[in-house]
Order: sequence, then structure tokens, then C-alpha cells
Amino acid sequence: MKEAIKNTTLADRLLLLFLIAGSIAGTFIAGKAMSQGLNVTVEIDGKPSYTFPINIDRTITVSGPYGDSVIEIKDKKVHIRETHCPNKLCVKQGWISNGAIVCLPNKIVVIVGGNGNNPPEDIDAITG
Amino acid sequence: MNRKLLAISAVLFFLVMSSCNSNKFSTYKKTKALMDTFVSITVVSDSEDKAESSIDNAFSAIEHFGDLINFFSDRSELSSININAGLKEVEVSPETLDIIEKAIYVSEKSGGAFDATVGPLIKLWNFHKKVKPSDAEIRKNLPLVNYRNIVINRDRSTVFLRKKGMLLDLGGIAKGYAADLAVEVLRKGGINSGIVAIAGDIRAFGLKPDGKPWNIGIKNPRQNNDSDEIIARIKLNDRAISTSGDYERFFLQDGKRFHHLLDPKTGYPADRCRGVSIITDKGVFADAFSTAVFVLGTGNGLKLVRETGMDAIVIDSSGIIHATDGLKGRLEIEGSH
Repeated sequence: MKEAIKNTTLADRLLLLFLIAGSIAGTFIAGKAMSQGLNVTVEIDGKPSYTFPINIDRTITVSGPYGDSVIEIKDKKVHIRETHCPNKLCVKQGWISNGAIVCLPNKIVVIVGGNGNNPPEDIDAITG
Repeated sequence: MNRKLLAISAVLFFLVMSSCNSNKFSTYKKTKALMDTFVSITVVSDSEDKAESSIDNAFSAIEHFGDLINFFSDRSELSSININAGLKEVEVSPETLDIIEKAIYVSEKSGGAFDATVGPLIKLWNFHKKVKPSDAEIRKNLPLVNYRNIVINRDRSTVFLRKKGMLLDLGGIAKGYAADLAVEVLRKGGINSGIVAIAGDIRAFGLKPDGKPWNIGIKNPRQNNDSDEIIARIKLNDRAISTSGDYERFFLQDGKRFHHLLDPKTGYPADRCRGVSIITDKGVFADAFSTAVFVLGTGNGLKLVRETGMDAIVIDSSGIIHATDGLKGRLEIEGSH
């Protein structure tokens, strides 16, 4: 190891330093890039079951205790189109482009982004 | 040269370590679908197990309370009160009695701008299907809306609605109340700081592991894109914040916005504000007073806020932001720095 260090030039060491700094910065940049809410995640009974990109239109049917619920992704928005649960609050919530739609009776949660509440890094929670 | 390398390594090591949390306390967050919405609980703890079990206990308390006051479930205590309106009093659990008493208190303080008996008006509107009721339908149901017709008997722990057809809807107060219950459970479990966020009804307690207050973002009522989601941010500890906005459930018709925050006196959406955030000690009051102040508007609303010793951020119908003096140094409006 000592021999290897001795055989390096100042430029090599600067390059090494640059690479280390770059990789540390990379982890932060990647973390930030990944939390930009570009995915639709469908949780069934508390478990993440499907993830779809929000920019590709599609219709998905998932099953819960009250039967099938139809989820539609269109124009970078998502809504629950059909459900058979009693109050249909999730359908009434309409289209969302961030945040979450919760269908409690059918145990289905549709989340845009990472965790349903996708605030900027320095924000701990959002009211509104 | 080796010395230099050692020095560089030491600096790098320090940089990497300082980006981690050197304190043994960390934040732990869990999210669950409860009360027809999304509940996030963040706690500061020195043990992951303790954090997890405390959060789970708080979720259970919210779930239990949500079942008692669920407007849509036939088995809830709230439905039992509504079904027996004009017929007989209904015995309820202490939490149900307590939240209804607090709802009456906010109704009295706000002169009826908040009124939990607004149910018969709410059921006429369907914001998803863009259904606007007729003036006649609204006029017919208006006499059913009056908090003075809720009769509480503390000794018997009962609630009675005087008129048949009355409907209690605790949607404007229940989430804030549930956040208070959750904080109580967390504190009993040995957690001294954290955040309970039931949708936009938030209660923060204690400080973050770095000794700083919690940062809460306030949603922009007229968001155009991802970058302007937040209109302001506020630093909070040991306070609750709730927001009522005309952008949550609404439809546009003939250029007019019809939203879910109805003026109990007219049966139509209140149009004096776009959004109101109330900051006070308890979630239950932040939640209910945010609706009351939204209905009252800037003048009377801010008067009520000052009289009751609360703080508020009111975004009026033309988009102007009004904030109380108590928020100085804690509130930052986006784009103003």
C-alpha cells in the first residue's frame, strides 16, 4: 500500500480526491433526483405492490376486500376510476399529480412520488 | 506527503461523519392510511424498536377514534347520534363527547362560522360530480343547521340532536383532535419530540435531533407546477397547524369556484379566502378554527384569532397573505428572501 502511494504523482492524488468527492456528491444528487414524484405506487393492504411511471398513460385493475378497483394514469395525473367500496371517497377525490389517494375499505393506497407526502428536503411536513 | 494524505483523509472522514447524525437520537417515520386519509408520524428516539412500537400505538389510537366518529360507517357512534336525531339521546364514549363539546365551543366562539351540524348542507353538494344544489334545496336544509340544537348531557355521557334530519359532521375538527390523541400516546410511550401529520392537520412537539424546530411547509392555494407547491414555511415546536383551503375539493362552473368549505349560514361555499392556516397549542382548535376563520374572512377572522390568542396566516380571495405578529421570525414567505 505504502509503495503504491509512493508511486503516485500529485495529479494522481488530486484525481483520487476528486473521485472520492464526486462519489459522495453523487449519493446526494441521486437521492434528490429519485424523490421527484415521477412514479405512481399502488399499495395493497399496506404493502407496495406496483410502481408505474406517471408519464405513461395506462389503466390498472387491482383487487381488494370489496372487489376490483380501477386506477387510471393519464396526462401525468392519476385517479381511481371505479371501486365497489361503500362511500367511494377515493373516486370523489378525483385526479392528483402528487400526494396520495386512500381507499380505506378496499385497503388500496395510490401514491405519487415516494411516500405520499413528498416535500422539499428541508421540510418536515406540509399543511394544506 | 504521507502527512498531507493523512490530513486530507482526516478532513474527508470528518466531512462524511458530520453528514451523518453523530447524536444517538435519530428520527423515525411511518405512514399509514387511516381516517380516509394518509397519516404520517415522525418521532425522535434513541431506539428504533421504541420508536416503532410508539408509532404503532399512536396509529391504533387514531384508528380507534376514527371508527367512533366515522360519518360513513353505520356502526360508528356518530352515525348512531345522526340516526337518532329528533328521536332520542345516544350514549357515547368520552372521546366522542369531548370532541362534540369542543366543536360547540368553536361554534360559539366563531358565532356559527364553524358549525358541526352542517351535514345536511354538505350532503346536497357533490364536488366530484360537479353537482350544485338548487337554492330551494339549500333553503330547505338551512334550518337543520344550528349547533345550539346539539344537547350534551355530561352526567349520562349522551348526545342528542333536537331536530329530525340533523346531521353532525366532524370532518372539520376530527383530524386535529386525532393528532392530539396521537401526541398524548407518543408522550406516554416516552417520546419527547416528533410530528403527527393527519393529512394537513399537523401537531409538532419537542425539537429535532439537531435541536432545531420542525419545518412545516404551507401549500400554495394556486399551485401551477411542482416548483411552487409551497407558498410559505414556518418553524414549529410544541404547536399545531391546520389549513383550510378552497383547493381541496372543488369544481369550477361559469368561472366560479365551488368548494367544500360551506358557510353554515348560507349553505354556499365561503368566498372570502383561498386558504387559512391556524397555529395554536392544540390540533383540535387549529383544525376547527381554520374552517371558522376561512368562513369569516380576513377582517373578522383575524379579530377572532387575536381574541383567542392564536396565530394565523390568511391568504385572502385576491391572493394577499396576512400573518399575525406572533409569527415574526418563524414564518418565511417563498420568494420573499
